[in-house]
Amino acid sequence: MLLLLRKKSFQRFKKIETRIHELNYLFWECTTRCNMRCIHCGSDCSQNSSYNDMPLTDFISALDTLKFKPDNFTVVLTGGEPLLRIDIEKCGREIRKHGARWSMVSNGYLYDRQKHISLLNAGLGALTLSLDGMKENHNWLRNSIDSFSKVDEAISLAVSSSRLNFDIVTCVNRRNINELTSICNYLIRKGVKAWRLFTINPSGRAKDNQELILTDLQFKELLDFISLKRKEKSIDIKFSCEGYVGRYELKVRDSFFFCRAGINIGSILIDGSISACPNIDRTFSQGNIYKDNFSEIWNNKYQLFRDRSWTKTGQCENCQEYPYCQGNGLHSHNANNRGVLICHNGKLEKALKE
Amino acid sequence: MHRSITKESFNFGGIRKYTKMKLSWRRKILGGLSLTTAAFIFQACYGTPQDMGLDIYITGQVRSGKTNNPVKGIKVSVTDKLQYEITDAEGKFSLYTETAEKYEIRFEDIDSSQNGIFAAKDTLLTGIDKTVYLNIVLEEN
Repeated sequence: MLLLLRKKSFQRFKKIETRIHELNYLFWECTTRCNMRCIHCGSDCSQNSSYNDMPLTDFISALDTLKFKPDNFTVVLTGGEPLLRIDIEKCGREIRKHGARWSMVSNGYLYDRQKHISLLNAGLGALTLSLDGMKENHNWLRNSIDSFSKVDEAISLAVSSSRLNFDIVTCVNRRNINELTSICNYLIRKGVKAWRLFTINPSGRAKDNQELILTDLQFKELLDFISLKRKEKSIDIKFSCEGYVGRYELKVRDSFFFCRAGINIGSILIDGSISACPNIDRTFSQGNIYKDNFSEIWNNKYQLFRDRSWTKTGQCENCQEYPYCQGNGLHSHNANNRGVLICHNGKLEKALKE
Repeated sequence: MHRSITKESFNFGGIRKYTKMKLSWRRKILGGLSLTTAAFIFQACYGTPQDMGLDIYITGQVRSGKTNNPVKGIKVSVTDKLQYEITDAEGKFSLYTETAEKYEIRFEDIDSSQNGIFAAKDTLLTGIDKTVYLNIVLEEN
């Protein structure tokens, strides 16, 4: 009864949140250059990107169209690898000067002591580092022989700063699913407080590699692991917001599933496109900063993000969970709209029947 | 006192402000009823946690007590932290650092005689809200 009340309240909450659509979280794809060639990369980034890094002034001009920024408004630098930008500290300082906080997603390879200090000096407030297994499996996925030792150093630096709101993300696949306990123990030993786990979407370089995609049973195993560790409370562990997981919802995360793409989350992509999370089909973009006013686009467009009824097709059409799920994460859809690409709850239910 | 409200003056993010305020209250109540701590603090799936803004901005300039000229190459560090910065050609420095009750900032000459030789100085700051500007004078040895 209480759970039902909570679910219904959250549904109403989502509707109001959608109507207000306050922009709290802005991704900036500041580069698509990358110093790694990870085998699961969803964006197919490479060292020699066909795009030049977006000039800082272009981004700041778009940011300045926002006349009002909520207190918790954050610009999230992403890529590619943001640390490849030699002006990253300048980017951070300018973002702060223009009334926003900033954070960064990084593979940690270039995150050494000097970089840690200069980024903190420039007002870095939150950081996410990727760790995809213990040494052998992390290096395999990252396609690099020393990426584990590099990210190990980066983690030590990040945990040494109580200023940083810092977490680790792990892409769970068929190779590392059996070492989750080892990773967990390693992170606790390092002093990491928060850990988010993902599965891998069949997109970019990952789409043809079955070794990366969990079976239904392995997916359930992952959720059981998260649920168990949350009870132990030794680390703030959660399943990412990538998809709706039905009966496991509050067992694996702090809140019910809510894809906030285009509702609270926007993005400015490398070519100036205005969209939501960078992993969403790029044909969903709503405009371009080089010809549109960013604030006006945020306020007046994004209909397909804010009215998800178009996702009620294919396997979602008659699904009883649709009111809570609303077509799963938007990154699970493409412009063809032949239905959802991955149904996390479907995988879970299949596993429960096996 | 009654104030007239025009639609134009209250247009805000696509919906009028008074509607937004009403919705904000309903949002808070419903978010609370869902008993989910993360209703208001969230992170995108491939993004970072949100920054809680727990820092202050310290900026300023270092000058010579003898000549009043800016001093380059002075290490400005926050005691007990890894963080430091080196003053530029105009003697200027700026850094964000974690919010605390008090801050001990140390200024020390680390480039030998390259820009003159100066005695180190410690400054204790208390009651800083969000930003502070420091004019620092170092005595030449």
